Amino acid sequence: MIAENNSGGRAKGTGATIIRYRGVVKRYGAFTALDGVFLNVHAGEVVCLIGPSGSGKSTLLRCTNGLESIEGGDIEFEGTMLPRDERALRAVRQRMGMVFQSFELFPHLTAQQNVSEGPRTVLQMNQADANQRAAALLDKVGLADKAPNYPSALSGGQQQRVAIARALAMNPDVMLFDEPTSALDPETIGEVLSVMKKLADEGMTMVVVTHEMSFARRVGDWVAVFDAGRIVEQGPPRQIFDAPTTERTRDFLSHLGWSG
Amino acid sequence: MEFDFAVITDHARFLASGVGVSLLLAVLSGATSLATGFIVALLRLYGPPWLKPAVVLYIDSMRAIPVLVVLVWTFFALPIVTGLTMPPFFAALLGLTIHLAAYAAEIVRAGIESVRPGQTRAALALGMSRSQILLRIVLPQAIVRMLPAFGSLLSITIKDTAIASVIAVPELMRQSETVAGQSFQPIEVYTFAMLVYFAMLFPVTRGVDLFYRRVAHLGRS
Repeated sequence: MIAENNSGGRAKGTGATIIRYRGVVKRYGAFTALDGVFLNVHAGEVVCLIGPSGSGKSTLLRCTNGLESIEGGDIEFEGTMLPRDERALRAVRQRMGMVFQSFELFPHLTAQQNVSEGPRTVLQMNQADANQRAAALLDKVGLADKAPNYPSALSGGQQQRVAIARALAMNPDVMLFDEPTSALDPETIGEVLSVMKKLADEGMTMVVVTHEMSFARRVGDWVAVFDAGRIVEQGPPRQIFDAPTTERTRDFLSHLGWSG
Repeated sequence: MEFDFAVITDHARFLASGVGVSLLLAVLSGATSLATGFIVALLRLYGPPWLKPAVVLYIDSMRAIPVLVVLVWTFFALPIVTGLTMPPFFAALLGLTIHLAAYAAEIVRAGIESVRPGQTRAALALGMSRSQILLRIVLPQAIVRMLPAFGSLLSITIKDTAIASVIAVPELMRQSETVAGQSFQPIEVYTFAMLVYFAMLFPVTRGVDLFYRRVAHLGRS
């Protein structure tokens, strides 16, 4: 199967495989959201999932950390199958950071508390260490001065950067981004993308569901094009954007007005 | 028609003791209804499945039965069933709690369910357990969202204490009836009672509103 043989031409493809999707099937009642997805994510790689809305990209992301269960195939994370029981799943989730389209910051906590919440409750870190880590991460996303602010006092772009810091606070091995800029005003998209670019440059393994084609092209190491619950084409950005091999990819890109 | 409000000052101590009992009954039954309501709501949402029909039956029946009937039943019928007699004050406290806790439970349930599922997903993604998520993420937001409804419930509680007069709890309404009966001055006495209830309730409802406006953003996800 062509989809399984996807290590050729990968710039950072030499890293170990961190996530391996093998024939993943997800159904909601009669609707098949994922219809046999094969994909590998290597250490240090930025893998971008693109495709029309409802094609299964976000569903795949939610299956990756067990927020949704799968009906067929399997997902391997760092060499082990994703567990089914809650307790074991929690251990896996700690090592995957997740960033949501709608931020989902905790409104009753300040920016600093949002970031330190995971280390405090899940890693049982003491208050001082957790605060220190939170402060460092807020600084990293350029929001050191917003530490005492509640989410309601932050712009969308700032909220999403706090959300990225919150996910990083768990020291994850992988970051999952679910359309991180889709709910943002155009003028704040850039600040979030540049934080993500910085992370990528530091070697963070990232799976990014995005409609930002220029980000996928510039920052992505590997791009997978989704349609109707399947990956119709995957390859390095150069191939996907300049020389797509399938009609579906060409259709999708031309709908977006992508001109290469 | 002539009014003589001296009847109020003449019975000031007697009426004031009624106000004290009303406030005490309101505060206690408010607290017990709230605590019971939380437990009932959590049982309905997260309790064992076999218990849920019983919890739903309790809530539905309390919303369908007048508080006066519950109170009278608690005072006159419950002692015969259980063999335990209760002083009127405790019967009133128990009856009001049984009745109001059902409303509190529905407020708590609605509050918890109104917190969007994305909040739970975000907390799950951090690796938090279900109980950590409920206690640290969902409930704090839900409680903020419940405040306006709790304010209404508190004012209903204060008003419902007047019903305790039928089982001879010496609260404001009962004491007013006594003074009105003795003095033949119902206009003065009951007008005074109305004003006192208003004076107790108005700051409560306004205070809750003001407080809510200041903290509302903490529950807005």
